[in-house]
Amino acid sequence: MMRRSVVLWLVLAGCFGVSMFLIKQEVQQRESRLDQLNRELLENQEAIRVLRAEWSYLNRPVRIEALIRRHLELRPTEISQRGVFESLPVRITAVEDQAETGQ
Amino acid sequence: MSRVGDPVARLRTVRIDGAAKQALETGRNRLLVAGVFFFFAFALIGIRLFDVSVMKGLDEPRAGTRTDPITLKTGRADIIDRNGVLLATSLWVPSLYADPQQIIDPQESARMLVKTLPHLTLEELTAKLSAKKRFVWVQRGLTPRQKYEVNKLGIPGLHFQHEERRAYPQGNLTAHIVGFSGTDAVGLAGIEKQFDGLLRDGAEAVVLSIDIRIQHILREEIARQIECFDGVGGAGVVLNVVTGEIIAMVSLPDFDPNLAGDAPADTRFNRATLGVYEMGSTFKIFNTAMALEAGTATLESGYDATKPIHFARHTINDYHAKRRWLSVPEIFKYSSNIGSAKMAVEFGSRTQRRFMEKLGFLDLAPIELPERGRPIAPSRWGRLSTMTIAYGHGIAVSPVHLASGVATVVNGGIRWPVTLLKREPELRIIGEQVLSGLTSEQMRRLLRLAVAHGTGRKASADGYLVGGKTGTAEKPNARGTYARKSLLSSFVAAFPVDDPRYVVLVMVDEPKGNVESYGYATGGWVAAPAVKRIVVRSAPLLGIHPKDEKSPEIRQILDVNIPQAKGQKRLASF
Repeated sequence: MMRRSVVLWLVLAGCFGVSMFLIKQEVQQRESRLDQLNRELLENQEAIRVLRAEWSYLNRPVRIEALIRRHLELRPTEISQRGVFESLPVRITAVEDQAETGQ
Repeated sequence: MSRVGDPVARLRTVRIDGAAKQALETGRNRLLVAGVFFFFAFALIGIRLFDVSVMKGLDEPRAGTRTDPITLKTGRADIIDRNGVLLATSLWVPSLYADPQQIIDPQESARMLVKTLPHLTLEELTAKLSAKKRFVWVQRGLTPRQKYEVNKLGIPGLHFQHEERRAYPQGNLTAHIVGFSGTDAVGLAGIEKQFDGLLRDGAEAVVLSIDIRIQHILREEIARQIECFDGVGGAGVVLNVVTGEIIAMVSLPDFDPNLAGDAPADTRFNRATLGVYEMGSTFKIFNTAMALEAGTATLESGYDATKPIHFARHTINDYHAKRRWLSVPEIFKYSSNIGSAKMAVEFGSRTQRRFMEKLGFLDLAPIELPERGRPIAPSRWGRLSTMTIAYGHGIAVSPVHLASGVATVVNGGIRWPVTLLKREPELRIIGEQVLSGLTSEQMRRLLRLAVAHGTGRKASADGYLVGGKTGTAEKPNARGTYARKSLLSSFVAAFPVDDPRYVVLVMVDEPKGNVESYGYATGGWVAAPAVKRIVVRSAPLLGIHPKDEKSPEIRQILDVNIPQAKGQKRLASF
């Protein structure tokens, strides 16, 4: 009777010890992974800032304009190229539709 | 033993002799004491165990609960334009330093480094690398590419230290607005100085009202005029009439804020806000508005401009002299100094002063920059001052003042404080009613008249209904007299003038006439064409559609009756 309970306790203690070790190991691994991820996060954020600055630098209107003049056919819009919906002639399709349905 | 009633047996079990009894008592007492002691000890441990595991357990810090995201800490927040384009940002840049004790061959190392970093000289670097020190800066603020190149050289004894540095990717374009900050991240000029505290502890970017595209157009067109007419500088403003937001603001010559330390003082001077100038004829806008508002003149009335005015040893003359009776619209159209001065005398000095005050022309402009020029107004505001102020001499204001004043005149008479920060459309600010709506409407007609038929014809951008006024001021020289040759030519316009949305101001400092302008360097020749090009180029970006200028609706809004001297009226033909 006495020996059986002692064995039971020993087994339980052993199980707890092993599981404690495993959990601690896992936590340590995850923490170092977290630190690594945070470091990467900072590095990436820094890289994004540099890239954003470079993007703004490369998009200077002076540069874009020079590039367009060199490589594209685009020119500033003439007033004659612009219009509004109100200036369009009245649609005549409605009348045609009526004529068709009337037939 | 089975007999219970046996007195002998009974006596034997109870009766124990003295010594044995004593020993038994002692043993029992000891057991009891030990038992009680152990009981309390275990009870204490038990209570403590319960306390630690159940009660205190909730307060124990848990390793897994840190969820706040890691963000990069920078010394200063970003500055962006109204569309989110980055204007100023803080970057961690590598700086290269050397430990001369670790350098094996200073001569060879210096030779290799100079190839990669061309700003350095071989002699200086060799001397630095052979020094008897443990630390020397080689170069501060390297680009990522330079860092890579230096690493590739593989020289021992070279190390990097990361330092924070302010970068202005747009360079010269917004130099005077954004300003710059020093090496220790303290704002020294512009928005950087004005919002230094906010930028320092704020993670959120400061959003300006500037549109970088319009800013570019304004800068390019003014630079072109300065070059064409050999001017010493220039300034320009594009202002939203409805909200008071400054969409673009330029001062030329300008500087690169990334290298602000090397920039000459002249280039760092903000002519648009810090400089105050006698603006010349553009002030006739305010003079005419004042007369119409005071009721001393109407669009039907007029003044005799046959002869120059002689007053207190001064002579007021006309540049485009007509030598006849001129109606109020004609005075505006031909920019008559004589007529304007007579108009001003009628409503008087006190009205003029009060009106200038209401327009904000006697105070600092309410703009978010530390570089603001205080207007110069006469201390004794007499009759002569009143006459000269009528055509823009004797009072000096900054270009931002002028643009804000014109916006007030054309937008129905309400003065909105000008701002460099983006305003949310739903946020209504409080403006001050300076002029009546009727006066504002009449002024819009007169501004259109000056562009359609008067001195500002070169600003007429077909379809965009530009209305404006030229200004050509003679700059006072060191002796306080006016130099005929040194001019300040400007043009201020509102468009589309039937329902004004934007005010454009262009000013060129000391332009000289050229062959193309037949020797003229006036506002109509120098500044007006730039305004036209700015309007044509920026209107599509600002969402303004061209209109038919000859349509009856537009003519009804903008036509002016020009009365004749003999009382006959003639419709100005548009």
